Amino acid sequence: MSGVLSFFGAPVVMLARTVRASTRDGVPWRESLAQLHELGGRSVWLVMSGMAFFGAVLVTIANSQARRFVGNVAVLGPAYFELLIRELGPAVSALLTASRAGAAHAAELSTMSVNEQVEALEMSAGDPYADLVAPRVFAGVLGVPLLCTLGTIAATLSAAAVAQFAFGVDGRAFMDPRYVDGWDLLAAFLKAAGCGLYIPLAAAVAGLKARGGAEAVGEATTDGVVAASLGCLLIDLTVSLAFQLLRL
Amino acid sequence: MALLTRLGRTALDALRGTGALGLVVGRTVLALPKLERRELGRALVQFGYGSLPLALATAALAGIIVVLQSGIYVQRFGARAFLGWAAGYGVLWEFGPLLLGLIMSARLGARNAAELALMQVGGQIEGLRGIGLDPFAILVAPRVVAMEVSMLALSGVTFAVAILFESVAALLALGLPVRVFFGTFSQLLGPLDLLGGVVKTGIFGLAIALLSTTVGLSARGGAHAVGQAAANAVVRSCAAIFVLDFALTSLLAGWMG
Repeated sequence: MSGVLSFFGAPVVMLARTVRASTRDGVPWRESLAQLHELGGRSVWLVMSGMAFFGAVLVTIANSQARRFVGNVAVLGPAYFELLIRELGPAVSALLTASRAGAAHAAELSTMSVNEQVEALEMSAGDPYADLVAPRVFAGVLGVPLLCTLGTIAATLSAAAVAQFAFGVDGRAFMDPRYVDGWDLLAAFLKAAGCGLYIPLAAAVAGLKARGGAEAVGEATTDGVVAASLGCLLIDLTVSLAFQLLRL
Repeated sequence: MALLTRLGRTALDALRGTGALGLVVGRTVLALPKLERRELGRALVQFGYGSLPLALATAALAGIIVVLQSGIYVQRFGARAFLGWAAGYGVLWEFGPLLLGLIMSARLGARNAAELALMQVGGQIEGLRGIGLDPFAILVAPRVVAMEVSMLALSGVTFAVAILFESVAALLALGLPVRVFFGTFSQLLGPLDLLGGVVKTGIFGLAIALLSTTVGLSARGGAHAVGQAAANAVVRSCAAIFVLDFALTSLLAGWMG
């Protein structure tokens, strides 16, 4: 029970402290840009290649479903494209980013706190929330939606290519935006931004509370990745459920 | 010139990684007959039983998400009765194995890599060799076997829970009676579909176990290296899962027609 409470509560407290600290001290812009570069540059190949494979899998599954009922994958294409834009693109890209960036952030921050670099920062009148957490949160909120966009594009292109060359269907039939409307894009953006906010916070919660030696670093990294991945699934579910209940 | 250097370094790294993976696979297989039973039991409790809450939470989330997703296009095509089939197919073939694999690469892969890296950095593995014990027989093989068994067992539980949550979500969100849901589910899906999902999860589990062991054993340095190993294990397992997912889906879909 207390585990569940701290799973939801700790990131909220971390966010509140980070916002308060950064309104007081200001966000270090140079560090934020460096973190954005770090997040984007390190995750972009993982996200894009993962999503390209995922797009190919998606069209293979659509093909075997379609052969059973409607006869042609081109009929299911537009519906699958909407599904990719609205649900799978942001959710799977965010999960990949969570494993890459969540693990890297948690490992960095826990190494710093085990080596007492965080205390050293406090001693020299720095604030760990404003100087360490805020740039990572900024990078996440800005970077994860961009990564999700790139991942969705990679998945779409590879799905179209597989449909064209492996199943002999016009690949552009898959990219038919017939069903995609503004609400789909809004749902996708909300998911990406929510995950972008949550991943650095979960990693920071796990990383900053690490105490001890190398063992604590390993534990903190594991906890950070697990919390970030599970949180991304939860955010995905919450946004989908809200849109479903509002019938948008 | 710089490009050539980078290309060469990447190729060397890839070769080194493949070689390390091959060594781990070979030595683990050789160590299988004399693996330590007590360590196997401990690892089964830690990796299997310890991951149960996380696997159940993932299953519940995956079930509801798949229903919400397939609900959109099932309603669009006016084929509400087929939701049981579409959602069951989605969980068994794709989202159950994929999401379980991604979450478990974080839970099992990162933890295994961190523990092995910790022992490697602390010189404990050298110590085992020093007193004439084979670290693969008493440390690595039990973990690999335990992770594989845990993933297979968790896949069954996960699919069952995910499908239960799907039927409830279909009733609450789309107003589809549970009887109709399970009607098309049992009519149109066979044991082969279940087998496909279990095979996929099993292979993901093997990839996670072997990759995280390789990453953990090749860690050198201090606290920094332990965190780095855990992070690398997750990233490599995720990349491997996506590649294997593609290969297995095309293979199984072609084979089952």
